[in-house]
Parts: sequence; structure tokens; C-alpha cells
Amino acid sequence: MTPVLLLPAALAALAAVMLPLAIHIARRSEQRPTDFAALRWLSAKPRPRSRLRLDEVLLLVLRVLLVALVVLVLARPALRGGAGEGRPVVVISGADPARAPLTAAELQRARWLAPGFPPVDRGAVAGTQPVASLIRELDAGLPPGADLTIVAPSVLQGVDGERPRLARPVRWIVTPGTMPEPRAAAAGPLRPVLRHDAAHAAEARYLRAALQALDPAGSLPNEGDLAGPLPDSPGPVIRLAAGAWPEPVTAFVRSGGTLLVSADSEVPARAGPAVALWPDAEGTAQVEARGLGAGQVLRFTRPLRPARMPALLDGDLPARLQALLAPPRSAPARALAADHAPLSTGSVAPTLPLQDLRPWLALLIVGLALAERWLATARTRAPGP
Amino acid sequence: MIDLVPPDVRSRLKGLRIVTRRAVGAHGLGLHRSHARGAGLEFAQYRAYEPGDELRQIDWKLYARSDKFFVREAERESPVAVWVLLDTSASMGHVDETRPGQTRFAAARGLAACLAELAVQQGDRFGLMALGEEGLRLVPPGSGPRQRDRLLIELMALRPSGGFLPADRMGPLWERIGPRDLVVLISDCFEEAAADLATKLAAAGREVLVIELLTPDERDFPFAGGHRFRDPETGHELLGDGAALRAEFLERFGAARAALRARFAAAGVRHVDHVTDLPLDLPLRRLFAAHAAAEYS
Repeated sequence: MTPVLLLPAALAALAAVMLPLAIHIARRSEQRPTDFAALRWLSAKPRPRSRLRLDEVLLLVLRVLLVALVVLVLARPALRGGAGEGRPVVVISGADPARAPLTAAELQRARWLAPGFPPVDRGAVAGTQPVASLIRELDAGLPPGADLTIVAPSVLQGVDGERPRLARPVRWIVTPGTMPEPRAAAAGPLRPVLRHDAAHAAEARYLRAALQALDPAGSLPNEGDLAGPLPDSPGPVIRLAAGAWPEPVTAFVRSGGTLLVSADSEVPARAGPAVALWPDAEGTAQVEARGLGAGQVLRFTRPLRPARMPALLDGDLPARLQALLAPPRSAPARALAADHAPLSTGSVAPTLPLQDLRPWLALLIVGLALAERWLATARTRAPGP
Repeated sequence: MIDLVPPDVRSRLKGLRIVTRRAVGAHGLGLHRSHARGAGLEFAQYRAYEPGDELRQIDWKLYARSDKFFVREAERESPVAVWVLLDTSASMGHVDETRPGQTRFAAARGLAACLAELAVQQGDRFGLMALGEEGLRLVPPGSGPRQRDRLLIELMALRPSGGFLPADRMGPLWERIGPRDLVVLISDCFEEAAADLATKLAAAGREVLVIELLTPDERDFPFAGGHRFRDPETGHELLGDGAALRAEFLERFGAARAALRARFAAAGVRHVDHVTDLPLDLPLRRLFAAHAAAEYS
């Protein structure tokens, strides 16, 4: 928890504290004319005492404090850093904290590297965690200079392609153990379902040929008119028809399916922003992809006619279709822990969570303003500042 | 008319007597002893009527003969005239810092009225001289309640301003004050001329009493903070911080008062100082009370 000012330049307004000060010393500096008959026995001292004299010091202190607090609000004070512990010890799931060289106190406060960072003594966490992401989150929430101890199994799963760069040196303890490898996706051949109406029969020919080329057995693709059933699996569906889709198609996409539609098809307005894919020779996208629910909608940007889309006649059309429709391959996320110790950059993460202090300051200012008014008016006091 | 003498002071005045140290006169009435008892009934002269003379003093037989008003003037009735010399220089108009509206001159006026009251009580003649820069203002000596009223009217008309009576205008003063007269000078004695006048009068055989009027400001110097002190007579100004000036002022002022006191004592001037926040009869009591017991028991 580090107090910071997000707009320190506003502190220049602290010059405004001169205002109450000036109000409270102004009356002292003036020379009240006084008739005094026994003047000849006064010895001349050229100047009044030069030391500053202030009226009603308590009121002045209140006013200066009030001005300073208002200036502080302008400077946007905040607390940087979450409610993190001072020297956290985290254990990556799969590691055995009992076999790590940890002190009893460290073992006591050890936590799992999992969302929410549950304590170790509550039992192991289930599932595979995004290790690199969690380490960065933990690092960003810590104040600068805090120690971080990580107990890792010898084989890590869920890391990035690069070693994590943290704001601090990390005590990186590797214990025997292996994180489970995620089940590899079934790498069967791509079997898209082709659906089209009569108006798009001519266009469907190119796709049918490309799909047939993709199939290792060379069999014809699962082709039918629009009324045909959709596949149960989230395998890709190619649908060539004008206008809006029926509800089952939308539901299919929302549940995670991939849908490739013709250019004259209407994509629902709730779909996400379009991403340009498959640029032609001039660099114009021939397919745009948009997210919809858990799935994805791909749409040709032009009719499937060689005159408009010469790529239809290219030999790599099957490969292009395969690239469009195949599920994305996951990046390699497995590493030896000994080789994946985090690096230290020494710089404070700029994205520490901030807690705005201005509402509390506003409350304090209101209280001080009330106290100032009370002091300045309710008390019987000489007419003055 | 505003009563210049507060009721409590008036009641305490009843026990006081104006006493001179050389109180044996040759003639006259009044409380002071006189060898010429009853001389006041003797005819002295006629003089023309002046507005303010009492009607019963007019000689009506003479009026019947001459068709003019003449006043029968008798011999002086009391051997002693009490002269109240009132300083009306601007320094007498000092207004108290702690009691706004209270001036030194108000106290001086009250003292003069008290003296007039005392003189009326014991039948002595009394007169007033106001010593201002522009000249002497005079109430000739007389006796009785009317004289007192004349004196009070004159007192109410006086305003402190300017300096002390210049030496070249003191002529009438020396002419008027007789050798046996009692002179009471009411002044702050800040001007050298006032002290000079008192010592010269004493050297000339008059009995001189000085009531030195001080204000609480000069006694306590209660000023705080920055002030631009101004002398009301000379107009000189001095910038200063009250608290810083206080100690040295009190020391120097005290030394000056002590020197003045020594000078009066050397010249045979009876002197009493009075701070204006104290009761008015206090200086009179200090001047006269001890003697009253000895002389008139």
C-alpha cells in the first residue's frame, strides 16, 4: 500500500495557503494611529517587532489545513497496491510444499497459485491454472520491495513463451512434481457440414471440391439443403443462403460452433467486431470473422464466383479453408520449471491497483469546514479575520 | 447642566476643607482666619453694573439719583482666593486606550468643579484660569453658588487644544493672583512651561498646589501590536510595537516623574499625582485632609 499522487503538479496550488496566512497577519502589520501625549518619553524604535504575529492561531491552522486538503484532492491521492501480504509464499499446484526448504512460518502463510490465492492448508486446488498470468497478477499487486517466494513443480503447464518478467527478484524453489498435461484435442480430419439453397448451388461446387480434397479418404462432404440437421459437435458448418438465419443456426454458433456464411447472408447485429482474414492480391479481405457467443461467424465478403474471387480457382483453396475452419491450435504451454525462473526487471508495475482516496478526503474537508465555521462564528470573538 | 461632580465624590467632599499653610489673612470673611473680621461689610467703591452681577447688589438709591446701575462693592471678604489653574493644552485631551471616551480633561474639569464646591462650602473666593495656547481665559474670583455656576459654565465651554500658555501671555496671570492666594494647578505637567509656572509662582510667594493628572495609559502602557503614536501637541509621530516599547517607556517616564517631583519639592510646591481611573476626591483628600484635622478641630 503506497500512497501516491496521480496529479502532483496540482500541489503548486499549495501556494493558496498564503491566503489564510495573509488574512491572519494583515491586521498586525497595519499601524493604528494613536494619540499619545507622553510621546516624548517613548524611545524611537524604527520598526515594530519584525517577528510575525498571528491572530487566532487555532482558526488559522484550521483554515490552512482546509486549503491544503482541497489542494490534496486536486492532486488526486490514491493508494497503490492491493491488500497484499508483505512477503507472500505461493505454491504452484503440483508442487509439494512439504518438500520445499521453507520455514514453518513460511509454510504457515503459503498459498496456492490459483484465482483468489487460497491457503495451502485448505487442500489442493483442482484443475490447471494459468501459471504465468497468475504470477504476473500476484507481482502487480505487491508493494515494491516485497519478497516473493514461489514453489514450483519441476514441470510447469500453462506458461507463456517467455519467462515472466516481474518487478522484483523471486525466490524460485523447484520441487519434484509434474503439472498434468491437458488432454490433446482430437486431431481428426476436418469434416465440415455444407448447407446451401438452390440459388447457391453453383457457388457450393467450389467448396464441395475443396472439402473433398481435404478429406483423406476423398469422400464427398456432408452436404444437404438448408433443412438438413446441424451436427452435434461444434464442427464447422458452411451455410450458403441469403438473408437471416433461423434460430437453431444462431444457437449452434452461440454454443461454440464455427459457421461460414455467404456474402449475402445477414450476420446478427449482436456479433462482435469484424476481423479481416484471407487478403487477396490487393490486400482486401475476402473473409471477415466475428465472434458471436462462444462461437465464431466467418463470412465471405464477395460472391463465390471466380470473376469476383479468383482465389476460388487457386490450388491452395483447400488449405485456406482448412486454416479458416480448423480450431486454433493451442500455443506450447509446458516448460521445465528450472529453466522458467522469472526474470526481474526491477521496475514497479505501472498497473498496480489504485484505491482512490478522494471520497475520504471530501468527508474530512466537510468536517473541517464545519469546524472552521463553528470556530469563526459561534464563539464570541473580536471582529477580525 | 451636566453635574461634573459624581454623587459619591460630592458626599465625601463634605468632610474636606481647603487649607492654606499661610492661612492667616488680614481681613475678610470665610473660613480662614482674618484679623479684619467684618471688613466685608465695609463699603469700598461703586462700579458700573455688569451683566451677571446680582440684582441685590445694585444700589437702588444711586440708580434713583443717576438713572444708571451701580453696584456697591464691598471690601474683599476673604483673605484667600483659590485660583484654579487649568491646563487646556492638547495633551489634556488624551483618550484612554482601555476606557474609550474617558479623557484626562474630563477628570481635570471634575477636579476644578470639586475645588469650586469646596470653596463654596467654606465661603472662600475662587476663580478660574484656563491656560491655553491662544491666551488666558479667566473667571475672576468671587464667592457663592453663582460664582460656582459661572465657573461651571466656563468649564463646560473649554476644549483642550494647542499647547500650553505662552510666556508672553502670562501677564494677566501675574497681575491677578494676589500674594496670599492659593493656586491649584491642574495639569499633566508634560510641558516644561507648566512646571516652570508652578515653581515661579511658588518663588513669588504664592502657595502653589499641583495636581498632576496621569492616565492609566501612562501608568500601565497597555498598548499591544503596531501603533503609530502621535503627539497631539507637536504632531510628532513614532512607529512602534506597544509591547516592545513598554519597559523602556515606563522606566523613562517614571524617571521624568521622579525628577519633576524632586523639583517641586525643592521649590516648595505641594504636589500630588492622580491617575484618572481613581476617585476624583482622592488627590484633594491627600492635599487637604491631614491639615484639616490640625487646623479646625
